[in-house]
Amino acid sequence: MAQILQYLANGLVFSSIIILGSIGLSLVYSIADFANFAHGDTMTLGAYGAFVAFGVFGGLGGTVLGLPIGFFLSLAVGMALAAVVAVLTHILVYKPLDTDSIGLLITSIGVAFVYRAVLQATFGTDFLQYDISRSGPIPVLLDTLDVAVTQRDVAIIVSAAVLVAGLHLLLQRTTLGRKMRATADNPDLARVSGIRTDRVILVMWVVGSALAAAGGVFLALYSQLDPRIGFNILLVVFAAVILGGIGSVYGAMLGGLLIGMLHELTPLLSDVGLPVSNAYAPAVAFVIMVAVLLVRPRGIAGDMT
Amino acid sequence: MNEHDTRSIDRRSVIKAAASAGLVGLAGCSGGAPDEGDGGDGGDGESTDSSTDSGSETYTIGMVDSLSGSLSAFGQRNQRGKEIALDDINSVGVSGGELAISQQDDQSTSQGGVSAAQTLVNQEEVPLLIGTVGSGVSTAIHESVVQNTDVVQISQNSTSPNLTNFPDLLRMPPAGKAQAEAISSLLNEDGNESAALAWINNDYGQSVGEAFIEAYDGEIVYNEPHDQGQSSYSSTISSMSDTDADAWVFITYQPEFATMSQEAFDLGVTDQAAWYGGDSVKGPKVLESAPEGSLDGMKAVVPSVPQDAENYQAFVSEFQERFGEEPTSWSAYAYDAVVVSALAIEAADEFTGSALMEVVRDVTRPEGEEATSYEDAHEILANGGSPSDVDYTGVSGPIDLDENGDPVGLLQVFEVVDHAYESSGFIEG
Repeated sequence: MAQILQYLANGLVFSSIIILGSIGLSLVYSIADFANFAHGDTMTLGAYGAFVAFGVFGGLGGTVLGLPIGFFLSLAVGMALAAVVAVLTHILVYKPLDTDSIGLLITSIGVAFVYRAVLQATFGTDFLQYDISRSGPIPVLLDTLDVAVTQRDVAIIVSAAVLVAGLHLLLQRTTLGRKMRATADNPDLARVSGIRTDRVILVMWVVGSALAAAGGVFLALYSQLDPRIGFNILLVVFAAVILGGIGSVYGAMLGGLLIGMLHELTPLLSDVGLPVSNAYAPAVAFVIMVAVLLVRPRGIAGDMT
Repeated sequence: MNEHDTRSIDRRSVIKAAASAGLVGLAGCSGGAPDEGDGGDGGDGESTDSSTDSGSETYTIGMVDSLSGSLSAFGQRNQRGKEIALDDINSVGVSGGELAISQQDDQSTSQGGVSAAQTLVNQEEVPLLIGTVGSGVSTAIHESVVQNTDVVQISQNSTSPNLTNFPDLLRMPPAGKAQAEAISSLLNEDGNESAALAWINNDYGQSVGEAFIEAYDGEIVYNEPHDQGQSSYSSTISSMSDTDADAWVFITYQPEFATMSQEAFDLGVTDQAAWYGGDSVKGPKVLESAPEGSLDGMKAVVPSVPQDAENYQAFVSEFQERFGEEPTSWSAYAYDAVVVSALAIEAADEFTGSALMEVVRDVTRPEGEEATSYEDAHEILANGGSPSDVDYTGVSGPIDLDENGDPVGLLQVFEVVDHAYESSGFIEG
């Protein structure tokens, strides 16, 4: 039982990271209308941005959720950097390209290579760490529930929840959010209704890449930072987006949660006698994704936006 | 045909030749550029081979290295070893010429390795290829590019027992089987009656893991692979901690192991069992990323260099002078891979794969006079010595390549004490 709780706790942390990545990917798909393969490397970019910023702000006193205040400042810097780079890429590359969504998809793969190459050339390919010491499991939870969760895990989950809640409020309660949803639903209709869709697309890039960057920063915080972390996780993020219903932000959240959980719950299969090794966790997650799509071809939340 | 006409046709054929060469390059196949047999065949677009008419010859060999990906830490050490080797070689010369290395990155993946090797072997037509770090990548290159050609392949860092099955795939570090046996005898010595084994899901992990299981007397209570480059291994660690194994054995790579050790710390299970590891879980970056003290007591078996040998000492001081830190064994293997290549070129009758293959083992074999530097070995050969008159003993050890292309090597046991690696003895390979 404790083991299941432990897997669920692991899954929740991993899901938080996947969710942050998948929202941005889904937003770009719904509004810009292409599968952005540079999204994973946008996550990496944000993580490196925060790494550099942490070198400056790291010393700032005070801690929140066991992490220094400077870390959250650096997180903001990383998010801002990713947003700026994504907007510039949109203006300089995607927008002037007069091509279809397949053309844009291939272009985005090229963009991904460029981001990664720049990071590799600047920081080298060795893995790096945010200079924050690890504290080990929270004693109370370990004693009462026999579940090992660190403050860092809690910080990741809480921060992801705050960001997701913020996005929810933005989409549902603000005029900008309504414009974004309208543009995602039907860009032509949105434009004739007087919405400046160009601006909405820019906002979408900002929001999507900032969230991706946050996911990247947490990913690097959770394990370590190297130029491939974002790209390595991209397929899982895609699976989450498709499982949730591509183009749907809430679907992406749900898909991210499910895929992250499935990924971490794979050891349960061998506990019940199915000889599936952990190495095949991504395969299991994908099999379940296909199974869900057979039943609901447009994904779990394919009809919502 | 007047001057003007010729020139305009020339320009066109230059462009055509360049374009078709580009296409061939993209397709990754050999075959020369198709001959555009049009009028301007006077001084047309064929580029002349720049190296042949100059006084001294440049011998270009290929090198595939892991400059990015999971194994980049090794690849970067290799680069430093290679640089020093090139300087040592070219200050003496090779067969009256110079050695040059054309290099490609394999991104630590088989696919990357194969396309890198294809570029070098099929397009640049190098007769000798140094490559590469990952054992699966080295064998992939061997099977899909090198086999059935006469190209000589020397792996600078691969330790998987599997490479022994490819006699023409030579390598510098000792085979992983010796390493696996050393780990299992350590476990037995330390009185561990059961072990949990986590191995990376590739050629290296599988073969070293299997060799370990074969050699180990105790009970294996957990034996699972994990994938390379995942963001989380907490399910692996959770499952391992769910067993009551006395020892945990990690046959994996540095970034993967770093993540696992952090997760073990986060789960509070670092003290549950004694930790053991193979060569590629030991590195300064691993210590840096692990929480202070969390790895204390861990033992790792690493292919070793003859610390006290004079030529190794010279290599160390040269390395320190250039890069400001101690070299790892991996730099030494890369150094020797380049030197052995150069000696083979010196000893061979001609610069072709088959001629090099004939002599490459001989220059390292114990028959003949021992030479501990390129300069000494070069002198024996330059004075008319035959390949078997030389026994090159490298900075990484005796080498002595056998019929399977495996060297004789030393293994060293490291233990983590106060968050630093301390040597606790040597084992013969």
